Amino acid sequence: MKFSFDGFRLLLVHVVLALVATAMVLPFTWMVLASLKKLQEIGLESWIPTVFQWENYRDVFTMKGVQFGRWYWNSILVAGWVTFLQVFTSSLAAFSFSRLKWKGRDMVFLLYLATMMLPSLVMMIPNYQNMISLGLVNTLQGLILPSAFSAFGTFLIRQFMMNIPSSLDEAAEIDGASKWQLYWTVILPLARPAIVTLTIFTFIGNYNSMFWPLVMIKSPELYTLPIGMLAFDSSQGQQTNLLMAAVTMSVIPMILIFLFMQKQLVKGIMLGGVKG
Amino acid sequence: MLKLTRRDIREISTGIAFLLPNIVGFLAFTTIPLAISLFMAFTDWNLEMHNMFQNQELRSVGFANFRKLFTDPDFMTYLGNTLFLMLGIPFGIAGSLCAALMLNNDFRCSRMRRVYGIVIVTVILIVSCSMLILAGAGSTAMTLLVCGIVGTILVLGSIGGQTVYRTLFYFPSFTAGVATYILWKKLYSPENGPINNVLQPVLDRISPLAGSMSLETAHFGGALLIVLMGIIYAYVVFRLISSWKNGETGSLSYCIALALLSIPLVCCQLWSRIPWGGALGLSLVTLGVLFSLLMFLTGRDYRCVCDCGMSNAIVLDGMVMVGLFICLGLSNVILALPTMASGDGLTAPKWISDYYWAKPSLMIMGFWAAIGSNNMLLYLAGLSGISQELYEAADIDGASPFQRFWNVTWPQLSNVTFFILVMSIMGGLQGGFETARTMTQGGPAGSTTTLAYYIYSEGFNSGRLGYASAVAWTLFILVFCVTLFNWKFGNRYTND
Repeated sequence: MKFSFDGFRLLLVHVVLALVATAMVLPFTWMVLASLKKLQEIGLESWIPTVFQWENYRDVFTMKGVQFGRWYWNSILVAGWVTFLQVFTSSLAAFSFSRLKWKGRDMVFLLYLATMMLPSLVMMIPNYQNMISLGLVNTLQGLILPSAFSAFGTFLIRQFMMNIPSSLDEAAEIDGASKWQLYWTVILPLARPAIVTLTIFTFIGNYNSMFWPLVMIKSPELYTLPIGMLAFDSSQGQQTNLLMAAVTMSVIPMILIFLFMQKQLVKGIMLGGVKG
Repeated sequence: MLKLTRRDIREISTGIAFLLPNIVGFLAFTTIPLAISLFMAFTDWNLEMHNMFQNQELRSVGFANFRKLFTDPDFMTYLGNTLFLMLGIPFGIAGSLCAALMLNNDFRCSRMRRVYGIVIVTVILIVSCSMLILAGAGSTAMTLLVCGIVGTILVLGSIGGQTVYRTLFYFPSFTAGVATYILWKKLYSPENGPINNVLQPVLDRISPLAGSMSLETAHFGGALLIVLMGIIYAYVVFRLISSWKNGETGSLSYCIALALLSIPLVCCQLWSRIPWGGALGLSLVTLGVLFSLLMFLTGRDYRCVCDCGMSNAIVLDGMVMVGLFICLGLSNVILALPTMASGDGLTAPKWISDYYWAKPSLMIMGFWAAIGSNNMLLYLAGLSGISQELYEAADIDGASPFQRFWNVTWPQLSNVTFFILVMSIMGGLQGGFETARTMTQGGPAGSTTTLAYYIYSEGFNSGRLGYASAVAWTLFILVFCVTLFNWKFGNRYTND
């Protein structure tokens, strides 16, 4: 075996990468280990619990004032609906912007693009007034509706659909397909990678979103996970072990999505970012 | 006059029909609110007066909200906080770039080599682990735990290569949200938090050493770092001038680059404990800007006002700022060490509950999440897009690794960097709400209140919707300036 310079360099790179990766992982390690400790052990120097308290995870669900299961369900419900609606409306709009030819199309699309740059904060206050007049304050529908339409999603899917060869459209037209059939049976299945990416982004974004629920939701049984965790933290945050158990459980769906969908995600970011 | 045939109308109606579900929601929840919000910014809309019980008339107050805003010392403080937190951006971008560069290595190697690699790594780990335990660093179980994690990652990394590291790096930014902020709040807790548990023993060991240091030594060390800072600065100014002379950088870019470079020097004037350090820097910058303005006004060179030098110059600035701030911070720390240690030893900072440490704490957390963020993936994509021929040509010319990076990789990535920078600045201006709400409530004493958090607390806690709208629109105008800037200088690089 030869110790070439290149081999040594590679080893060095491995070590540096592993050290940085450790720094990324350590906080999460502490989180999991702290969630398995007894409350008295939290401040100790050693991270490892003497006895693993698995019942902490059960206790989170039965805590007073913490409707964890309920919040979990609300979060998934809201994120799921938003994702479904957004993907549906965005893909329709993207189809119109990329596969149909009509006068003024590019101008409308430019307007869409311009609004992508708007800070969402500006819209929050009038939207709140909107929701008051619609009577949707303190309902889950009020959380779902404003997020169901997105310029970013339209943009992402449109970029992808532009690359689908136009000969497919012509072939479908010769076969006598209507525009709807063209969308539903030809273009939509082909745009799957972009749609998967948008699905992941939208789901994660809404699962984590905090500003809008914080403004809209007043009653604890309608809390989503982020504002629920906030309430948990401010009312019973001293119980670090239970708090960490809750944090761990709230991160789990993201970990699962991340591990299973990583490939599409990475592709999607490169698709949306480099061209944007 | 626009003439529409029947066919046009049919096509438009089909197009609009597909667009309809999106555009209705879009109008209702984006466009119309935008208009309403502009209108609100000129009224005295207040939830206490204008609610369903006390239905008072809305009054238009003209520009009073904006006038109040610019005389409001709070607003200026919060704008300053936002900009301060944005200073973390160049650090994050540099981290992402380094991570991407390391990940871009070719990790493929023969199976035999891989086995050898694992063996070597295991031996190194066991040796270092036992040495740490023998030296009595922390508890044995903790040392074993950390070394175990490093070892596992190394073994996984040598089997899986890039994918494993990329996954682990990307993880913090992917899960960033209330959950991780709460986690960091606990990590930062001043008494018996895990970070201070590790930090305090280390500081205890250093403090006698620092206490024995004389004031002269400290002054000398601090001055040395300031000089280093001056050398970095001089080098960059030299590079800028030479590229401006060669016509790579236009005069406008040159001015902007110099003006940006003055930021750390102004900070130096404000924060440095060596008074002449900042004054020197300031006078240097003033001279430079005056000189370039003179050149610009006398019309020496305005061939290329918007040019490829722009993004390069700005990015160069960003990177230099990182270096300058590190020098400045270190020199301040060295100067303060003897006095701090002479009392009852060095104590670990109180992180987010300390007025001065709160912002740096948030920046450290942001850095942790930013290294492996989307930016790293963008850089990876950019790196894989660089043609191999360029590197071969550089090799033939006998370029050193540093020259390869500086003359091939860096210019080729400049469009990606520019895109990332603009996006980060836009995000940074609007950011800081979630961390402030979760971790610090904007405190201590307003030191982490950003504009976004200010809008929230004015609008939804105090109910002054009119004033909050005015703040939001000011923020909007700031963001819009960045967008315009992007359109002017960024388009041709990012939309190829």
